[in-house]
Amino acid sequence: MNSRFKHTDPIVVSMGPHHPSMHGVLRLVVVPQGENVIDCKPILGYLHRGMEKIAENRTIVQYLPYVTRWDYLATMFTEAVTVNAPEKLANIQIPERASYIRIIMLELSRVASHLLWLGPFLADIGAQTPFFYIFREREMIYDLFEAATGMRMMHNYFRIGGVAADLPYGWVDKCLDFCQYCLPKIYEYERLITRNPIFLKRVKGVGFISRQEAINWGLSGPCLRASGVQWDLRKIDHYECYDKIDWQIKWQTEGDSLARYLVRIDEMKESINIIQQALKLLPGGPYENLEGRRIAQEKGRMNWNSFNYQFVGKKSSPTVKLPRQEHYVRVEAPKGELGVFLIGDDSVFPWRFKIRPPGFANLQILPQLLKGMKLADIMTILGSIDIIMGEVDR
Amino acid sequence: MTYNRLESFSIVLLVPKWIHRVQSKKQESTFYVTPDHPYEILLFFRCHINTRFDVSIDICGVNCPSQEQRLRVLYQLPTTQYNSCIRIKIGVNEITIVSSVISISPSAGRWEREVWDTSGVHFSNYLGLCRILTDYGFEGHPLRKDFPLSGYVEVRYNDLEKCVVYELIEMAQEFCYFDLASPWQA
Repeated sequence: MNSRFKHTDPIVVSMGPHHPSMHGVLRLVVVPQGENVIDCKPILGYLHRGMEKIAENRTIVQYLPYVTRWDYLATMFTEAVTVNAPEKLANIQIPERASYIRIIMLELSRVASHLLWLGPFLADIGAQTPFFYIFREREMIYDLFEAATGMRMMHNYFRIGGVAADLPYGWVDKCLDFCQYCLPKIYEYERLITRNPIFLKRVKGVGFISRQEAINWGLSGPCLRASGVQWDLRKIDHYECYDKIDWQIKWQTEGDSLARYLVRIDEMKESINIIQQALKLLPGGPYENLEGRRIAQEKGRMNWNSFNYQFVGKKSSPTVKLPRQEHYVRVEAPKGELGVFLIGDDSVFPWRFKIRPPGFANLQILPQLLKGMKLADIMTILGSIDIIMGEVDR
Repeated sequence: MTYNRLESFSIVLLVPKWIHRVQSKKQESTFYVTPDHPYEILLFFRCHINTRFDVSIDICGVNCPSQEQRLRVLYQLPTTQYNSCIRIKIGVNEITIVSSVISISPSAGRWEREVWDTSGVHFSNYLGLCRILTDYGFEGHPLRKDFPLSGYVEVRYNDLEKCVVYELIEMAQEFCYFDLASPWQA
């Protein structure tokens, strides 16, 4: 046997930017020796669009449509964090109804994101069936979003001080119906996948991250919770109205890809639970704090909206003057901790808008996890970390 | 336990040589640190029992051209043991070299590459410091304030040469800055 076995030199394979799996454009330069991976180097930057530089030249309201293009599968979180940053800087309170609406939208977005993680993850492993089934629920979530915000995916819904428009009549009932429909379907996915022996063989014990390593590498989100750290920003930062709702952090201790899968499935169930409670607790009242629409007053300008100019008067876009302070706000996105570091400059444009994407930090651990693994495990581990290149590259 | 003024000052008393000043706003403390010692101070913050800031969640480069130290590097450190977050600021100019903290927290690797790529702050003791977000042969540091939003080169496919070529940028329309207060065209 040994005499027929030739020593293979390591070759360099570029799993190039165009991927069949839906992570986006990620280039992995892999050095395999036979079937084992010796080293791997991810090369980013193929989707870099200069989001941070653009943010320095746009008001927050003008920037909101850009923001959904960071993480295009969980769009409400990007909007939430972009709007939270000026709210904290300028100390604008949001009404309670707006807070509950935000929670419902965020949790629906979380379910949608985890569903669209599940499909491609299993498709990479080789099971194509769930990929079709997840779109069934995701289309329903799209319909709910379209009814409330006008757009299926890139909603421009959150505003500084609340949300852009109130929920239409009948939306609450439709959403409750969706929750009652979706929960048995998630159990169906579990029945289909979780105890499948082929799935377990592919996923169990693959890509183990220990607790201390997860903290050192700055992981967040399900990757951290699957390694035994009960770290969920919704409980820690007490933002929005999550404290008034009864829910638990879902976590596992094993730290391998199976644990990350289980954490995400459990999070989906918990999100449905949160949505149902929030819908029942939804109060009446205003949906936007109109102080956020305050127009930045410039001295020496004539009032173009006065009686003399009423036929040519212009409706100014709502702007908030960002005070000369800096603040870091973060939100528990489905991929991890999405943060925005905002330095205001007493003008309507931010001075520095730094985006802290969870995928950027979570992807760093990939080369270390892949050393010594087989080639087929690359897609398993990459899928279980759940990155999206839109936010990694910005 | 969120860091308030008293606790921030107590940290300053422990390491007075390295910290210029402390600012505490909205339950967040910012420490301004001398640029020679980011490694030491991060090691201190990581290991000291009262501070335990063990993750480097974000490193950000800021360009303030009007001030003497034109570039700032900000380290954002939360702690998993006590629920709080501090910020460390270092002021440098374009040619100062800052020591890398990758050996303390490996998560800082990508962030430092990004700060080098976008703002131009060089980090020592870092073997793989190269461009991460911008193009392969890119020159310049995009997030500096003197770099224009549209950049200098544009890329298009040249059918004659059958490849992608880089050319100087040609804007058909100038950048639309909407002057919202005036109803007339600028």
